[in-house]
Amino acid sequence: MAKQFEKRDRRFLGIGVQSAIKGFFGGNALLSIAILLLICVFLGKEAFLFFPDHHKGLQLYRKSGQEYVDGMKRQVEDHADLNSLMAQAYFAEKADIAGREWGVVDAFGYLVDLAEDEGEDEIDAWADAREELEDAEEDAEVKRAESEARAAWGEKLGEILAKADRAEADRFGRLEAGEWERLKASMAEWDPVEEEPPAFVVQAEKDLKAKMGTFEAARNAFAAAVGPLNDLKETLRGKAMVVKEEAEADLTAVARKKALVEGAAASTNSEDRQRRLDEAAAIVIREKFPFAERTEVFYESKPEHARLAAEYLVALKAAMELVPRAPGSKEAEARLTQIRSELPDVLQDFSRNSVMVQEWRHDKPYGWWRSISAFFFGKDWVTNSSWHDFFGLLPLFTGSLLISVIALMVAVPFAVSAAIYVNQLARRWEQTIIKPAIEFVQAIPSVVLGFFGIMVLGTFLRELSQVEALSWVPGFPMAERLNILNAGLLLGLMAVPTIFTLCEDALNNVPRAFGEASLALGASKLQTVWRVIAPAAASGILAAVLLGFGRVIGETMVVLLVAGNKIAIPDFSEGIGVITQPAHTMTGIIAQETGEVDKGSLHWRALFMVGLILFVISLFLNWTAQRIIHRFRIA
Amino acid sequence: MSFVPQLNERSMNEINFDATPEPALPAEIPVMSPAKSRGTEGKEAAKSLIEIEDLGFSYDLGQTETLRNITLSIPKGQVTSFIGPSGCGKSTLLRCLNRMNDLIDTAKVTRGKIKIMGQDIHAADVDPIELRKRVGMVFQKYNPFPKSIFENAAYGMRIQGVKSQKVLAEAVERALKQSALWDEVKDRLNSSALGLSGGQQQRLCIARAIAVQPEIILMDEPCSALDPIATARIEELITDLKENYTIVIVTHNMQQATRVSARTAFFYLGELIEVGPTTKIFGNPSKKQTEDYVSGRFG
Ligand SMILES: Nc1ncnc2c1ncn2[C@@H]1O[C@H](COP(=O)(O)OP(=O)(O)OP(=O)(O)O)[C@@H](O)[C@H]1O
Ligand SMILES: [Mg+2]
Repeated sequence: MAKQFEKRDRRFLGIGVQSAIKGFFGGNALLSIAILLLICVFLGKEAFLFFPDHHKGLQLYRKSGQEYVDGMKRQVEDHADLNSLMAQAYFAEKADIAGREWGVVDAFGYLVDLAEDEGEDEIDAWADAREELEDAEEDAEVKRAESEARAAWGEKLGEILAKADRAEADRFGRLEAGEWERLKASMAEWDPVEEEPPAFVVQAEKDLKAKMGTFEAARNAFAAAVGPLNDLKETLRGKAMVVKEEAEADLTAVARKKALVEGAAASTNSEDRQRRLDEAAAIVIREKFPFAERTEVFYESKPEHARLAAEYLVALKAAMELVPRAPGSKEAEARLTQIRSELPDVLQDFSRNSVMVQEWRHDKPYGWWRSISAFFFGKDWVTNSSWHDFFGLLPLFTGSLLISVIALMVAVPFAVSAAIYVNQLARRWEQTIIKPAIEFVQAIPSVVLGFFGIMVLGTFLRELSQVEALSWVPGFPMAERLNILNAGLLLGLMAVPTIFTLCEDALNNVPRAFGEASLALGASKLQTVWRVIAPAAASGILAAVLLGFGRVIGETMVVLLVAGNKIAIPDFSEGIGVITQPAHTMTGIIAQETGEVDKGSLHWRALFMVGLILFVISLFLNWTAQRIIHRFRIA
Repeated sequence: MSFVPQLNERSMNEINFDATPEPALPAEIPVMSPAKSRGTEGKEAAKSLIEIEDLGFSYDLGQTETLRNITLSIPKGQVTSFIGPSGCGKSTLLRCLNRMNDLIDTAKVTRGKIKIMGQDIHAADVDPIELRKRVGMVFQKYNPFPKSIFENAAYGMRIQGVKSQKVLAEAVERALKQSALWDEVKDRLNSSALGLSGGQQQRLCIARAIAVQPEIILMDEPCSALDPIATARIEELITDLKENYTIVIVTHNMQQATRVSARTAFFYLGELIEVGPTTKIFGNPSKKQTEDYVSGRFG
């Protein structure tokens, strides 16, 4: 019978049901691979178009003279850092050695301001009355008016003094006993028109000057040292800006002209058409932007810069000579020591920048490698700036990395020990509680966690950090509620289920026979876990940690909400305390900025590049994890 | 000898079988040094080391009994075989002897008791961990740890807290020699145990069990995953080991039972049907079921 082995597959539209089902599943698998490939191609294309554009941008930065001006800007900024230390030293010294006088002068100033503010009408009235009285001294009417005005002022002054707030007048508690009362009493004698301070206040001012005079002079000289250089920078900055804008306009000239002409052709309104055509005619299309001609001014300013730089060094030295050798305040001493120790580095940077400024040429070719490393190792991410956009990955990368490291430091011990406990040591009923509870964390929407981070954890950490007894903890008290630590803790929580589940799988994959053999040799449960099960699962646990890392570094919502979004490399000088600073992340920047950039712009492509790097990091982590699992799989 | 840790006065890392009998031992059980040859199988040597009295055992908290009314004594210094059709409870009984069944939450001894060296092993003050140090086990599927050969053999000593490299090395060498593996692995003690052949791995598992010098070794079908040559080597090994250890072996292989064991116990559906000298069980069984089984009529 030939029919016996006939195919029994039912057919539908000529396709066998079996092969249709097979095709469906196979097709889905293929589709997901195709989509993955498409994502790779798309990401890769957009991202790699970034580099030529970025390179062009940096070339313009050099040609327009912005690079030249920024050399000076760095010199000025470095000085500003020192200057703020100097100010701290000055005020510390003032508070310590002339605190009393300072307090009196400040409090008096407060009282005068208050009186002049609140009693403005009365003072004006009295001043007018007095003027009139001067002209007509004999007039009884005028006399009476004057005394009335004086009485009104006296009354108002009483009100004002009753209202005066000591805490406001003396915020740092510098006033000594009785001085507040003395000041208030002296106000009665104070003439709001003549504005002559009472004698003891004048004395205090004099004393203050005597004590702080030299330091103040030093401080002022120090601050002023950079003035001329700063002025030069500001002037040149404006010029570079103009060059850049014109050059950029030039780059788009052809396109703009074309658009205007097309617009005119389509326009029905003759007036409008004429306007467009005129505008188009005004656009000059130059073969090449005359950078050499336009940047002449910078070359011309080089000798002046050299002169000002030399003068700056002399002025700085002179100002440092003026600074008191032995300040009375410990704090001031510390700050001054810091300035002295930082000074050599700053001066070195200064001369390096001077050399850079002097050697700058608009037509020196910009190296490819430099523009690539300007992205990967650039310390600034500055966008939407009217000056120049910098796309440096480093601040974002450090932010992501710090947050991830904290998250892992929290999550790994917790998740791994929980997995070991649940898998090896827990009773059945404990398992039925702990496992779902931990896995439930995964179900919390990340935006909710972020909200929790802002409202609860942030406030809690901040308040905790302000506890006096904890002030020894590095980074405490923290200035920001939203910071790396806060984001790291929340991400740690999010990573726990991932690591926990994968670790548990790894432990489950350890053959039962290992545990049995160990127990049969008289090992305790803990010894078995520690010496046999955990080592056998080690590769799986490591892979779990890596995948947890991938999860954490790719997480967006929480960091966007909680990390504080400050685009700057955190200041590592505080050591571990760095974690209480805010930061921005690679994921956060993409989420935050993608919506508001023009498609196809350099900024847009830079964001894609960041995305690509995230993708590569995740891919690498996953791949390594897979390899580890594969390599150490127990036969 | 006792499994009660607090009574055991010897420090764990100086287990010494040449020690004088411990006072905790019942007087009628002579403690002999396994290190010394016990050439004869005289009346004294046949004194039982393990006494199972009317044992009932259940895997499901007593609802059904997997083992029923087992009364059996296993003499010291001999090899005893457990035979019987699949599922009759041989492995279960074996695992009762070192309380491995404690690891199953719902497992429970429903009746009777097991005495090893006179001590009721289910007494409240018996620590199963101490018990397992004295009653070693070799599993059906060889299961060395994913560690080096040396570490496998040294494992039992390590968990007992032995740190001295010298003591460990001596113990490992002795165990590997006793398990006839030394010559094959002495040059690669630090390579992974998983690189050995199946038979070598099983012998390593035996070495691992005897490195802590237990009193008793339980073997659950130790050769079932091995080829005939490897099986022959293990059987040889068992014959050598019986000089020093009391061995209980579960086997499906009748020839194996006749080759290695002095006594054989036949189980059927959770009950002990017959026990006696191996020659009698295979030559002249007194029960019909036994005869059917050994002659291959069922099972
Ligand atoms: N962990 C367990 N939980 C519940 N029941 C079990 C468990 N282990 C074994 N059993 C049951 O107990 C009975 C005896 O099993 P056991 O493994 O002792 O048989 P066996 O004689 O060793 O068989 P085999 O010769 O096939 O190894 C069987 O019915 C088995 O299904
Ligand atoms: Mg079995």
